[in-house]
Amino acid sequence: MSKGSYRLSRRKFLLASSAAVAAACAPTSGGATPSVGAATSTPPTPQTIKIGQILPFSGVYTDLGNSMKRAADLYIKLNPTIANRPVKLLYADEANDATKAKTAATQFIEQDQVDVVMGIVPTPIAYALRDVFHNAQMVYIGTNAGGDWLTRTAGSIPNQPSSKSPYIFRAAFSSWQISEPIGEYLASKKGLKEVQLSYANYGFGQESARDFTEGFRKQGGAIKGDDVKPPLGNSDFVSFVQQIKNNPTKATYHFYSGADAQKFLTTWDQLGMKAAGYVLFGAGFLTEQDVLENAAAAKAAEGAITSLHWAVTLDNPENKAFVDAYQKEYSKLPDVFAVQAWDGMRAFDEAVKALKGETSDKQKLIRALEDVKFNSPRGAFEFDKDTHNVIHDMYIRQVQQQAGKYVNVIIDKVGRVTDPGK
Amino acid sequence: MSPEQFVLQALNGLAIGSLLFILAAGLSLVFGVMDVANLAHGAFYMLGGYFAYSLVRGSTSACFRTSIDFWLALIVVPLLVGAVGFVVARLLLRPLRGRHLEQVLLTIGVAIVLADLVRACWGGETLSLPAPRGLDISIAVLGEPYPLYRLFLIAFGVVLAIVLWLVQERTKLGALIRAGVADSEMLSALGVDTERLFVFTFAAGAVLAGLAGVVGTPILGLTPGIDETVLILSLVVVVIGGMGTLSGAIVGALIVGPANTFGSLLVPEFALALIFMVMAAVLLFRPAGLLRR
Repeated sequence: MSKGSYRLSRRKFLLASSAAVAAACAPTSGGATPSVGAATSTPPTPQTIKIGQILPFSGVYTDLGNSMKRAADLYIKLNPTIANRPVKLLYADEANDATKAKTAATQFIEQDQVDVVMGIVPTPIAYALRDVFHNAQMVYIGTNAGGDWLTRTAGSIPNQPSSKSPYIFRAAFSSWQISEPIGEYLASKKGLKEVQLSYANYGFGQESARDFTEGFRKQGGAIKGDDVKPPLGNSDFVSFVQQIKNNPTKATYHFYSGADAQKFLTTWDQLGMKAAGYVLFGAGFLTEQDVLENAAAAKAAEGAITSLHWAVTLDNPENKAFVDAYQKEYSKLPDVFAVQAWDGMRAFDEAVKALKGETSDKQKLIRALEDVKFNSPRGAFEFDKDTHNVIHDMYIRQVQQQAGKYVNVIIDKVGRVTDPGK
Repeated sequence: MSPEQFVLQALNGLAIGSLLFILAAGLSLVFGVMDVANLAHGAFYMLGGYFAYSLVRGSTSACFRTSIDFWLALIVVPLLVGAVGFVVARLLLRPLRGRHLEQVLLTIGVAIVLADLVRACWGGETLSLPAPRGLDISIAVLGEPYPLYRLFLIAFGVVLAIVLWLVQERTKLGALIRAGVADSEMLSALGVDTERLFVFTFAAGAVLAGLAGVVGTPILGLTPGIDETVLILSLVVVVIGGMGTLSGAIVGALIVGPANTFGSLLVPEFALALIFMVMAAVLLFRPAGLLRR
């Protein structure tokens, strides 16, 4: 027996054992990371409506992607057909990476020939894909990314051309809708005179800060100190929260979402900010249900006032039905991202019903979507015919403990908030 | 920035620096002895972090379901990662002995495979591991609450540096390693089994990466891509300090840790560029690193 063959057998052993490890792990990844390839393996019947969902299943916004997938899956489970046509959901991981998202969108459009594309969580990716949808004349219903520019004309964002496209609808929200009204509200109704800002330093965080500033200043408020701006997907918040203490006011407005929000609030708790008299305000994602699942983050968030177009405690029949169905299916409370994915499905469903299942004429589909009106878990839902951005109520919410759980309780409302569009 | 703030931020920088030192010590050791830049070092860190997460939290992984104490994990996990390093060195790197470029390329392959296995086992979510009980509190530093765990991490780095220095300077093993760094051919001619020394060194590097994974996770958290982040930072540390010397890893970490912290506070858009500019300057004026003899 030569040394060579001895080593060869070891290599074989390694190959076999690593294959075994891979096989042991692989089945578990199926649910967490759905692939486009798997979804396209069976040729669908001609009548099937195909909905492409581009969502983050890895990275800082994974929880959001999973939540939105749950809602879309639930919608199809409860409504298996739209206008008597069977529905198929296709998922692709955008991984907070514009290149991956573009590949996914192109595959949906060219290879799978989907009827509509939904999803996309981070604003920069929605911006990057805007031309892809517009040029392919593919109807896209945004169910999260809230960057103002996506549904706006030239001049509204410095140095940007018009982004508005007939093919782009947004069932989620715009940054302006989340941040401007609470700015006005805090200055006028809460008598807040000055505040400092901290935000995830990327497109949407910067927009949120700017829109808040616009509303806050309009009612006589002033922004104090240097903005604290960690990068998106930041790993260590201690130095940034310490920096907040440098600024001359204890009233603080924040934009963080997903894993960032959890880490930020955990650090807030760790550094004893509440005891030191600091007060939290923010865009509603800061204290959304996905964040409050973390006990330390929830403790830090207690009392925080944020604004969002939904709250789990919202008292209307559609919300009760939605929260119940979601909880029954997944044994957990839904979050706003689930509501957005749900409303995207519902809006498309209503439009296709109005067209009696005929989705091939894009212009007719666009008209039908413009006319969609329904009661969503968030309240009255319709698209602005001009901008294609959703018109909805904004709720001012405060984190409170109810029956041992931290939830957002609605303390006020700003009715029918419409993005200015320019 | 007030003086108190400066001190607190400096502590943050030192805590990150301490973590980077543990990483860079392993990377530097492997490079010094084997002349191979181990680009799987970040993946070993990540593996250590995820092992620690699963062993301590005892849930959410399809591959592991147990629960042990953080302190036990601090011993067990580096050994597990070291075993992975041993397997990689013995079965994959050794057949390519002497072919350094191929070995480096192989470590890239190992890094990709490990990253995908981690993704398959633990998914893509951001995971966090709380600091161990007793260290999960904040204590007053200059009148401001400061997380105790970070002070522990700084102390841990200092103690480890002393231990590694003693091993390097005062033990036979350390002598072998130093001789391997200086001239491994001569060492081989003197009758030392350098092949074994290489495998051992690589495994020891993996142990250090695994150790960093355990102590670093309560601060940095776990997310796909953390392997690349720590690999790049520790490569920068090693390049600045000088490949193959323990003191180089210390000096590099003391520069890069605070540079990273202050950079991301003062010039957020520019933080990473700042670190690379320091590296570029070192490469221009001291191509072998600040402390490379």
